[in-house]
Amino acid sequence: MARDYGFHFHTMHGQAYWDETAYYQFTLEQIERDLESPTEEIHQMCLHVVELVSKSEERLTQFAIPSDYWEAIADSWQAKEPSLYSRLDFVYDGKSPAKLLENNADTPTSLYESGFWQWLWLENNVDNNKLSKRADQFNSLQEKLVNRFKVIADYYGINYLHFACCKDTDEDRGTVQYLQDCAKEAGIGDYFVHIEDIGLGENGDLTDLQDQVISHCFKLYPWEFMQREEFGPHALKANTAWIEPIWKTILSNKALLPLLWQEFKGHPNLLPAFFESDMASMNALSDVKKWVKKPLYSREGANIDILENGKMSLSSSGPYGEEGFIYQAHTPLPKFADNYTLIGSWLVDDEAAGISVREDKSAITQDLSRYMPHIIL
Amino acid sequence: MQTNSKQKRSSNINLSKMRKAFSFKPLALGVASVLLSACSGGREEAVVFKSVDECVDALPSMAQKCETAYKGALAEAAKTAPKYNTRNDCEYEFGNNQCQTLNNNGNSIFMPLMAGYMIGNLLAPRPYYQPMFTSSSRYSSYRNNWVGADGRNFGDSRRNKLNVSSGAFDKKPAVTRTMSRGGFGSSVRAKASWGSRSSGKGWGG
Repeated sequence: MARDYGFHFHTMHGQAYWDETAYYQFTLEQIERDLESPTEEIHQMCLHVVELVSKSEERLTQFAIPSDYWEAIADSWQAKEPSLYSRLDFVYDGKSPAKLLENNADTPTSLYESGFWQWLWLENNVDNNKLSKRADQFNSLQEKLVNRFKVIADYYGINYLHFACCKDTDEDRGTVQYLQDCAKEAGIGDYFVHIEDIGLGENGDLTDLQDQVISHCFKLYPWEFMQREEFGPHALKANTAWIEPIWKTILSNKALLPLLWQEFKGHPNLLPAFFESDMASMNALSDVKKWVKKPLYSREGANIDILENGKMSLSSSGPYGEEGFIYQAHTPLPKFADNYTLIGSWLVDDEAAGISVREDKSAITQDLSRYMPHIIL
Repeated sequence: MQTNSKQKRSSNINLSKMRKAFSFKPLALGVASVLLSACSGGREEAVVFKSVDECVDALPSMAQKCETAYKGALAEAAKTAPKYNTRNDCEYEFGNNQCQTLNNNGNSIFMPLMAGYMIGNLLAPRPYYQPMFTSSSRYSSYRNNWVGADGRNFGDSRRNKLNVSSGAFDKKPAVTRTMSRGGFGSSVRAKASWGSRSSGKGWGG
């Protein structure tokens, strides 16, 4: 059935990525009190950090954002360029406050599994009487994405949009295809181009393979990569409007975490976090025995080290880290049966829009994590 | 399935729109639903005129609209028509003497001449319009057909009344000449050379 819907990244590295034999069950109170409200609140806290950082050269430097892009980031933030979506990752055991691990604000994936596939799974199981008719799901992603595309089209006065991701990645292409479908539902025409195929036109415009000017583009490609590549300066000069907008550079950066802790110290949904230059503050928190060392730029658990009593105990290898590191207090992922569980909580613009549950055999969630559906009952 | 106002999930998902043949053979069901939606999609009457005069002759009371739409279509053509590096390439597709030179920063590029313009929704205060091209080249699949800036074939160019889908008048992206490609993606090449990252996995998070 997955294949009927283009869902062909359901196994990776030979392990099942999607598991429909099991599911997680939440109460409505757990969803609303422990995940939905904190998600929206933390998002507002994050926007406060964007406001702060976009105006401070010192902070922008600390975030390792190249200075050529500072002005564009500040302008984009001041202009309130519209955002489409984000995913906050939480450690949540069903009882204690959910703790924010990180914010995937620029290029979140596993959207199709959450918004569409998980929804379909519930419909089918209820229709086949395998689940109670009262079963619901925290998942208004698709509805909200379609509506958000309408708002963005109105904002820019457009009736079409380019979509881009890298070559040779079924998962990214699947995510982008899903967003193209959502845009079409919103009445917006769609064009696709691979990131590597984007061209530079003679008037400085960016072009697709048909030489059409890319005036507005959804990109599933990190800003921190674009800002370090040959066409990076043209991404600004070409007057292309990007989704996600460039101000999201600040949110998709792990330096966000120490800034959140600095601004909202003690917030129940935050873990203590510090820049690597601030070892003194870490040592002052004597009740934290374990720290997780994360590169400023990294995704999906790559390059993460766990520091225990000053010694590295568990680490994941990866290609990130040259821009610096932060430390975040370690909190164990809850373990159900033999699996560690991570909650991804979605935002469309600034509204909480649903969750996805992923699990893994390892305590550090890697990118082959298994995706699990959930119900509210 | 029950629905209520406090439901936490999307109330409805248009499954036929989501079903896709993405690198797979379409299933019978998928094909049927695509055909269905094509039939039920909005269609409208459009007229193609080869000149302002032809438009005014046909619609004397709308002379002003004929003129406005013509100028608009001409401007749109310069932006959205296919562009070629050489006159030869252009004429191969559109036929001898069917192409014009466009000067752009001292460089010449070539595009087909606008052969007509399509107007829709004539009774509206501002009718829709699109530039139309045609080909006399026997190498081209567009020979003696109306073709839109994006390469859409509208059929026999002897006909001037067309029944088009409502999307036919949508604004199209501008077209330019691309000087270089490959300025994005180097970070991925660099990081992909590390370790055993599988090729199917993306760069999102």
